[in-house]
Amino acid sequence: MTVLENIKAKAKELLEAKEVEVVIGFAQGTLPGKCTPYFARTTEEVERFVWQDGCNLNLANYLSKFSGKVGIIAKGCDTRSIINLIKENQVNRERIYIIGANCPSMGSCHNCRHPQGVIADFYAEQVQLNNQDDFSDVEAFEELLSEERKNYFYQEMSKCIRCYACRNVCPACYCKECFVEENLPCWLGKTTDLADNIIFHLTRTMHVAGRCIDCGACVRACPMEVNLSLLNRKLLKDIQELFNTEPGLSLEAEPVLNEYKEDDPQPFLIGGEESV
Amino acid sequence: MKNMQKKVVAFLCNWCSYAGADLAGVSRFQYPPHIRIIRIPCSGRVDPLFIFNALKYADGVLVAGCHPGDCHYTSGNLVARRKFALIKSLLDFIGLEEGRVQFDWISAAEGNKFAEVATKVAGEIDNLPQWDGWGERK
Ligand code: SF4
Ligand code: SF4
Ligand code: FES
Repeated sequence: MTVLENIKAKAKELLEAKEVEVVIGFAQGTLPGKCTPYFARTTEEVERFVWQDGCNLNLANYLSKFSGKVGIIAKGCDTRSIINLIKENQVNRERIYIIGANCPSMGSCHNCRHPQGVIADFYAEQVQLNNQDDFSDVEAFEELLSEERKNYFYQEMSKCIRCYACRNVCPACYCKECFVEENLPCWLGKTTDLADNIIFHLTRTMHVAGRCIDCGACVRACPMEVNLSLLNRKLLKDIQELFNTEPGLSLEAEPVLNEYKEDDPQPFLIGGEESV
Repeated sequence: MKNMQKKVVAFLCNWCSYAGADLAGVSRFQYPPHIRIIRIPCSGRVDPLFIFNALKYADGVLVAGCHPGDCHYTSGNLVARRKFALIKSLLDFIGLEEGRVQFDWISAAEGNKFAEVATKVAGEIDNLPQWDGWGERK
């Protein structure tokens, strides 16, 4: 059987047995090559599932929309987001059934280290080997002169129209009330002035730090093609280097910014490490 | 004269660095007048947004809290420490000058250290090229 056949068979089995009320997956989109999230509630609807290049949205975002038990077809990044959501008490492990499958959109995220599901109740296909992420894109940027980096960053930030699609699509951004909309106090100016855009993006990047798993959903959602990936991946690289960990790989490990070690590095101090 | 208009925002933990600044004052240690102090309950309270937002209006930022092990809430500064490391690195990444945002640990007993750090940080920020307030100041 193909992966898709395995997925469909499992989805039907779950729905027939009433083990879940809905299975979240992908169906053919209205544009060629695009896939759209699809919520199958009957075995007939399961027939509309596809599993192909273009199935690249992060479906974990939809889990909280249902109150009953939910099945989800999850590739690597979805499962890593699910792990984070379980750890942050946003999703109940008992209430989800994870059908794991390798990401069919390989190539859209070069460098992806975890195309396969990290956790699953059922694997629709053999687990695939990990790739290596060398963060060469981030390193190349680090090599530039600070003025060049600043110019590029300002130019990217000036493109943003503050539609918040990047936030809405991100499974790590589940706050019912986001700082970008709060008015009392008004933490953040609501304009698309460069400064407000910059403050928004730096804060967004920090808020998802340690929870962002580089699924790229924000980048795909952005209508202005703002390079959000550069900021997200910079912090992923730092987290790897400073704290030797990668978010969303284990149900047990605390999120990296929720814990500390006595001897954590302090490169930020005046005079560096030794000044303590 | 030009530097007189510059401003440095200092987020100081109530239990240590703020008291350290107080001690500096009581002990009559001089520190630059353009440091504007904002008292915070713990260095763990520093949302990255505070720092990014302060830079819209000020020329630089200093954040200071209790020494590791001395936090009034036991681990506020230890958790903050990881965040600070990322903030500092992110700001450097997007091309900010090294000295524009600085962090240190200053205890309530270190009035002289506060004065020294404040003088050093303000001096460094004064000597940086004119800050653009995230592009707000032309
Ligand atoms: S910030 Fe972007 S890449 Fe990171 S988890 Fe959210 S949507 Fe995915
Ligand atoms: S999706 Fe793009 S344009 Fe919209 S708020 Fe995010 S970065 Fe800005
Ligand atoms: S109370 Fe001073 S850093 Fe926590």
